[in-house]
Amino acid sequence: MSMTTTVLRPRTGLFSAIALAVFLLPLAARADFHIRSPDEIDQGEYELEHNGSATTDRNPAKGGETSYTAEFGYGVNSWWHPELELAIGRNAGLGESTKVQGIVFEDTFMLTEPGEYWADLGLYWEYAYATLRGTPDDTLFGPLIQKDIGHTTHTLNLFLSKEIGPNQGVPGLDFSYAWQSRWNVFQLASPAVEIYGDAGRTSPFARFQNQQLIAGPVVVGSVALGTLGKLKYEAGYLFGVTRATASGTVRWRLEWEMHF
Amino acid sequence: MRIFILAAALLLLAGPVGPARAQDQPHLTIKNHRFQPERLEVPAGVKFKLMVKNEDDTAEEFESFELNREKVVPPGQEIPVFLGPLDKGEYKFFGDFHQDTAQGVLIAK
Repeated sequence: MSMTTTVLRPRTGLFSAIALAVFLLPLAARADFHIRSPDEIDQGEYELEHNGSATTDRNPAKGGETSYTAEFGYGVNSWWHPELELAIGRNAGLGESTKVQGIVFEDTFMLTEPGEYWADLGLYWEYAYATLRGTPDDTLFGPLIQKDIGHTTHTLNLFLSKEIGPNQGVPGLDFSYAWQSRWNVFQLASPAVEIYGDAGRTSPFARFQNQQLIAGPVVVGSVALGTLGKLKYEAGYLFGVTRATASGTVRWRLEWEMHF
Repeated sequence: MRIFILAAALLLLAGPVGPARAQDQPHLTIKNHRFQPERLEVPAGVKFKLMVKNEDDTAEEFESFELNREKVVPPGQEIPVFLGPLDKGEYKFFGDFHQDTAQGVLIAK
């Protein structure tokens, strides 16, 4: 992707769509590991998606955390893709159980056409409605940036999140980030490396060893199903980088795209 | 927040700086679930905008793993697909909803 001399233009109705989503659908957020691309918006396409992750660690206080999501999305137009998600999971530590943790309303907005500028730019916003008593709602937003270089694709997500409601803990914003570099060698399976980090509250940031940071290899692929659409999948193993992070995280993703 | 503003500013500032851009816009038409032409010459080494028009009454998806593009073309509409700069060579593309017939190749020269 490279630069042109044209100017970034605002999408018609983008801000009214965001405002509509904010005021009409106050829902929720949790941590699921997958990279969000600004380019994966297809008008009129339905999508069923599942993301999962599980952590392991010798210290039982850090191991045993799981996250499972079931999501339904639809490409309303060429630049807006909302999704509704059910988040299920188990907290790390002994004696925890798997519970429905929240319902999340997610919105991805494509701000530039793929390949039109030096990098592709999108915006992501979600609201997570917590279903567990005593747990705060959460909202998260930030830019999605992607660039192709030769046969590789590099994607960066930068997010700020904020707890909302009477159950919120420490006030302020939380900064998290995610990165994927993928080598597009085979459609069925392309290798990638990923990083997921959470620096914690922005003022001040926690010491590095107390931040969440995992990194590791991932395989990304897709297979056409003819009239049944397309199946996309990802799987990887991410190593804990900091003292605060579990030593290993397995993550996977399945996505079924259909167009009627 | 400053990080986001900085990232957006860098993207905007980088706007005019980039490789050369082709003056002509190559065109593809989808008709009877086939691309016309099925082999299309495009310029190598520059950015260009490929216009894809769907004359069928059902949607099609222009897709190419080699070009890293996947874009729905609604019936009766024309969409831009920004590509390049490409190395000289051949790049396969297909219509994801009618892969048995909608196949084509871009030839970058």
